[in-house]
Amino acid sequence: MKTLRLLGVVLMAGALLVAAACGSSKSNTQSPSNDAAPSTKTETSAGSDKKIKLRVVTITTDENRIKIMDNYIKPGVAEALPGVEVEFEPGGGGEDMANKLKTYNASGDMPDVFWSDAGYFTPLKNTGNIMDLTEAITADGFIDKYAVTDALKHIDGKIYAISSGADTYFTPVIFYHKELFEQAGVQVPTTFDELIDISKTLKNSGIVPAVTPGKDGWGPKLYMLQQMIQIGDPQAMIDLVNNRTDFDNPSVQAGVARIEQLAKEGVFPDGIANLDYGPAMEMFTSKKAAMLWMFTWELPNLAVDENVDFFPFPSASDKYDPNQHVQFWGSPLNGYAVSANTKHPEEAIKLAEYMAMADALFFESTGAPIALDTGNAKAEPGPLMKKFVDWYNPIPTKIASFALNSLDARTLAELSTQGARLLTGQYPAENFIEEFGKVWKENTWFDQ
Amino acid sequence: MNKYYSTNMSIFVFAAPALLLFTVFCVYPLLPQIWMSLHNHDGFRNLGFVGLDNYREMIANSSFWTAHKNTYLIVAISILLGLPLSMMLALYMDSQTPNLRRFFKSAAMFPAILSVTVVAQIWVAFYEPNWGLFNSLLKAVGLESWTKSWLTDQYTVMPSIGLTFLWQYIGLNAILLYTGIKTIPKQYYEAALIDGASFVKVSLRITIPLMQDVIKYVLILSMLGSMAFYSHVRIMTSGGPGDLSRTVVYQMYYIAFETSQFGKGTAIAVLFVLECLLISFLIQRFVARERLEF
Repeated sequence: MKTLRLLGVVLMAGALLVAAACGSSKSNTQSPSNDAAPSTKTETSAGSDKKIKLRVVTITTDENRIKIMDNYIKPGVAEALPGVEVEFEPGGGGEDMANKLKTYNASGDMPDVFWSDAGYFTPLKNTGNIMDLTEAITADGFIDKYAVTDALKHIDGKIYAISSGADTYFTPVIFYHKELFEQAGVQVPTTFDELIDISKTLKNSGIVPAVTPGKDGWGPKLYMLQQMIQIGDPQAMIDLVNNRTDFDNPSVQAGVARIEQLAKEGVFPDGIANLDYGPAMEMFTSKKAAMLWMFTWELPNLAVDENVDFFPFPSASDKYDPNQHVQFWGSPLNGYAVSANTKHPEEAIKLAEYMAMADALFFESTGAPIALDTGNAKAEPGPLMKKFVDWYNPIPTKIASFALNSLDARTLAELSTQGARLLTGQYPAENFIEEFGKVWKENTWFDQ
Repeated sequence: MNKYYSTNMSIFVFAAPALLLFTVFCVYPLLPQIWMSLHNHDGFRNLGFVGLDNYREMIANSSFWTAHKNTYLIVAISILLGLPLSMMLALYMDSQTPNLRRFFKSAAMFPAILSVTVVAQIWVAFYEPNWGLFNSLLKAVGLESWTKSWLTDQYTVMPSIGLTFLWQYIGLNAILLYTGIKTIPKQYYEAALIDGASFVKVSLRITIPLMQDVIKYVLILSMLGSMAFYSHVRIMTSGGPGDLSRTVVYQMYYIAFETSQFGKGTAIAVLFVLECLLISFLIQRFVARERLEF
């Protein structure tokens, strides 16, 4: 019994020591350089020692977002907003982020500042939980830092979110490993049929031809459906984005059929419909897959490997020319937004501006084009970024993203569901067209 | 005194606190749900009374029936496969030496104490089609043609998730059943031993019949756990591909939260509550009706 007591006392003392050590240890976070820290500053609660607490929920899935948070937002926030204590809550991404925000919205527990997305904007607007920032950012002059201020406005003419403006330069492309192409003896395809052919050759060489995130229908929802329609008939895609056509359109149906064909021909690896973003990226970066179908927000990370290059989606008809038509990601609703019910609107707006500027500084550091003026001299982009900008900027017809600019919450969710099934190769395109066509007809997005 | 405590009033008085808590936390929350299910509600705004339209639409939706098929498949796996296996495991544990029994008890509990997220992620890795354990094993023994994309194939996705669920909770059920075995007086076994009864005969004639209360408890627990099956699906497949692995609870979540149709989501919830009540009634009515005392 005595031994047990003694052991108990020793264990307790040990636990206390460990706790004390942890409590007194300093954070390993490096201080940011002055160049990296956003310059926006605010004066808050002058004369008061008590800090204002603001809660932030933002996307934290991809590597870029983590870098922005760790290297740009967190290190400089105390200096930029001295009267504010910020609690950062990771929001995840995709459906997780959307559901989190929708739940906060329903419970009336909205964070002061959050990442807004077109996919869940409507319920936030319906409840009056998202602030119209137009007046505030006009008054403080933040709006003047944007190259094109109209690009910030929603269809109702109001500004609900502010971002770096890098979004409008994001487009889906096909990244590829040059040496894997050489190894398999294949060339960059210029037509859809060639794409299928080189995929077969790559597969026969023991290389996974192409990879993209497929879980929750990520790929089909965010770009694949649009690309597959667009490469056959860009006008049909423009009409679909603007609600001037539907899934009875033969060009739209041909686009759906192309996804089924890709799945059946083995362009993607087994299990693609359950493949998450991270594992998909890993398959490409570890050279298990020759191609990665992905947005150019990953370009700075992928450009680290000199053997990585990209090409636009190849054509499926004479109507499409990759130098004439391209999808762009941006939506004026994507960016940092402020809760309309925040107790500290002034500080929350400043924080949103600070975060948008942090985004801009990050993307600027990668050589990516941005629409928000940071006041810094433009850095010389790397070769891959330069190739991208030289290709993308002159393209005359930039088609808005279908996922962000045409679908209400239900339609978007159903596109995820139906898109994921298409990727299995066990779901005929006709079924997709029938099921999603019905949902599309009930889409309320354009009733706003 | 005894007479006083047996009156209806005294029963009510003693039951009142529990009844009150049950009403406040179980019955009362149902009422707004029923109200919402009769309206077109997007979670934030009531867009008008629609009567039973939400119920009609949900019943006509093929995903609703896919979700039911999947839910009852999990129930079947859990009851028809899981319960007998747990029983066998419990009987086997009981027949071991104390040291081995301790080991088996710990091993049986281990998966159940792990977080669902951990278990689901481990099994996702097992099922990975390109380098996962199952396909690698099949390839290693020359059965490459049997390899599958387990979690995206329409025929294997639900059984694969069901197997994960089974693995996690089979041991817990075995422990519960084992505790039931331990409550049976030893003299029954001694008498059977003298009569020369085999292990199987003893199990079938003594152990299982005398454990019907515990079996009923485990049955209800397994049934409810399977009916409310959600977390494994959320982590392993997000209900996909498409709607192929959605359960009823997942479908309810999907309709309410992902498509912002709370009226329809609550209609599924109300229908499901009725189903669960019916199943509970059937279990109470037909399983272990006579109370055993020994």
